[in-house]
Amino acid sequence: MRGRGRFFDGLTAAQHEVAVTLTEDGLAVKIEGPSLKAPLHWPLGDLRATQDHADPYQMILTRKAETEDESPRDPARLVIDDAEMIAWLKDSRPDLYRADVRSGTGKKILRNTGLALGAVALMLFVILPAMANTLARIIPLEREVAFGKSITGQMERFLGGTEIGDLHCNAPEGVAALQAMTATLTDGEDIGYDLNVLVFDHSMTNAFAAPGGQVVLLRGLLEDAPGPDAVAGVLAHEIAHVVYRDPTRVALRTVGSAGLLSLLIGDVTGGAVMVLLAEQVLNSSYSRDAETQADTYAIDALTRVGVSTDGFAQFFDLIKELQGDISIPEILASHPDTDGRSARSAENAATQSNTRQIITDAQWVALQSICDGRG
Amino acid sequence: MENVSTQPSAAGGRYLGQGADIFKLALKTGFLTFITLGIYRFWAKTRVRKFIWSSTELEGTRFEYTGTGLEKFLGFLVAVVILAIYLGIIQMLLFFFGISLFREAQSDAEAIAQSFAGFITVLAVLPVIYFAVYRARRYKLARTRWRSIRFGMENAAWGYAMRALGYGFMSIISLGILMPLATFKLEKYMTDRSWFGDAKFEQHGRWTRLYGAMKHIFIGLGWLLGAAVFAAISATPLAAILGFIGCFWIIIGSVYYNVHSFRYLTANKTLGGEITFKAEPFTSTVVLTYIGGSIAIALLLGTLGAIIAASLAGPAMLAPEAMLDVGLIQFIPLLIYIIVLVVAGAMSLAMIVQPIIRHYVETLAVINTDAFGQIAQRASDEGADAEGFADALDIGGAI
Repeated sequence: MRGRGRFFDGLTAAQHEVAVTLTEDGLAVKIEGPSLKAPLHWPLGDLRATQDHADPYQMILTRKAETEDESPRDPARLVIDDAEMIAWLKDSRPDLYRADVRSGTGKKILRNTGLALGAVALMLFVILPAMANTLARIIPLEREVAFGKSITGQMERFLGGTEIGDLHCNAPEGVAALQAMTATLTDGEDIGYDLNVLVFDHSMTNAFAAPGGQVVLLRGLLEDAPGPDAVAGVLAHEIAHVVYRDPTRVALRTVGSAGLLSLLIGDVTGGAVMVLLAEQVLNSSYSRDAETQADTYAIDALTRVGVSTDGFAQFFDLIKELQGDISIPEILASHPDTDGRSARSAENAATQSNTRQIITDAQWVALQSICDGRG
Repeated sequence: MENVSTQPSAAGGRYLGQGADIFKLALKTGFLTFITLGIYRFWAKTRVRKFIWSSTELEGTRFEYTGTGLEKFLGFLVAVVILAIYLGIIQMLLFFFGISLFREAQSDAEAIAQSFAGFITVLAVLPVIYFAVYRARRYKLARTRWRSIRFGMENAAWGYAMRALGYGFMSIISLGILMPLATFKLEKYMTDRSWFGDAKFEQHGRWTRLYGAMKHIFIGLGWLLGAAVFAAISATPLAAILGFIGCFWIIIGSVYYNVHSFRYLTANKTLGGEITFKAEPFTSTVVLTYIGGSIAIALLLGTLGAIIAASLAGPAMLAPEAMLDVGLIQFIPLLIYIIVLVVAGAMSLAMIVQPIIRHYVETLAVINTDAFGQIAQRASDEGADAEGFADALDIGGAI
């Protein structure tokens, strides 16, 4: 093997025309040229080529060596344009494209990964929740209400309304029935806010609470519910979120954690899936406890006003039916397991006696048609 | 050298990378990034840079990029530790004080308070962004070699961040009139701290000379002024036409500004006091490459997206409406979105980014190249955060 090349010694930018040959013992390449003070010997086992070089007819050679550089490489470079020599090197040198890493690299990766994950976990699970709780307590009421209204407004637009008020159901008798139900549930209780309970004209069987005492029921819930007691259970559950200031806390926490997660995962490619799943897991773990607490509140409230929690239990059975065979792993689900929730309410119902219906049958009919008379 | 006349030795840049090669590389690394949930992106970026650097040739020798994906990954992790704490706290405090941003302003005072809160939000992150911009350029230079000699840049990122904030503020309050001052001073700050081996780069010239490059922005503003005049005397259609021309002119004018300020700044740089440069890129080439590339990509992607969407629409439709958790249903459209994104990224590298780099490289000339022979090596730079802050804040740009 012999050929010509251009050599840069890593000390100056001067170019040296060199001849490249194998040494007599066949263990190294010899680099010599008129402008080089002495021939250089690079052991064959130490030869390395630069990776992802754009020219397939050229090879840039260097040598594995302990240096201060980013990679353990000699700063000198040997440029080879000789096709035969390139072919020979590729065939005979298995380590040519090896990425040598210094000892201790593995430890460094572990240390940095640990620190980064630790810092993020500390923020996500300790500092942000603590700050969110504190901030949720000291946030001025009118700000919280304004924020909550903007959230219900966004939700309304998301559900198909073009402007705020578009989806509001307000048949007068229905509104009166809803107020009666709310008043019964909250009578004598300290809610901490002026409750604003709305019904949106949408077929989804769902309800949600937003910061500042905003509670929204969807028409689908009223239509599919087995009876007024079921709706009362759901309403009490949402009121519980209001009382515990859960929506405000979640909103504060999400803002911090969403920023952090997208920072960590960054790039959209692949990362977007991670952000989505991670946020799902995170929010779920935050919220499952809150949901259980809200269920407890709802069961207590129904029991206090003498309404059977059986309706609430039936509502969970209905949800289970609607979910069908699709089962979401508990870690991804924002709510606790539906079977368990249903069983809890049913158990409580078994201990109750002398129960009454939350509102009259006539009021229930009015509530179910609260969205009538809208275009 | 044979060049014994008074004419100094000179060399033009050459760019030898092929579109198909960089497309294949970007597609491969994009796919790897996807299946490693984003972790491979540091290696992906490094490999694309190695390709682009080694496609660039001056005086018969190609450049080399010596950065490693590993050091970028490690630097990113360090940046995450710092940013997680800083941004997490800042973001939440701002959100707390900025909640009134969600409400419509009911008085002038409130409107001012709202824009002030928005301003603070940006202000908290801006210094870190400028810091990251300088650090990223320093890292890229520290990992660039030519003829075995390292480039490098001094450690002065906070000084840059403070100046960038100051000049940026002056540009804004002067309504853009002082933009050339910001462009010139910031470029000078970075150039005067850049090295090739033991030879120092220097930025000469005067910032007022950049006003020539701004001429098309001023012409565009003139059209807008005309539009305002016609709007005032209620000739609405004419005002709309003039307004459209004005906006279009300003967009092209901004590219013209970038290209021509680059020409002036490059022509007034020296290396080691004796090597000079000449850059002559054209606005028309840059603009047409953008437009042509974008149209081609849009057409190709539209076709690809339609095919994928049609073949996957079936399963997505089966999702029940009343699911209480919607997280998993979003997965399939997201998958399509990501595939399209990977392909689009590879296409834009091959059809927009690389052609523009090619144009800039091939219109660049280096004068007095004989002086390179005397330039000696500089010490290696450990690279600080290896661009970790830029990666975490996602301000890396195309390459």
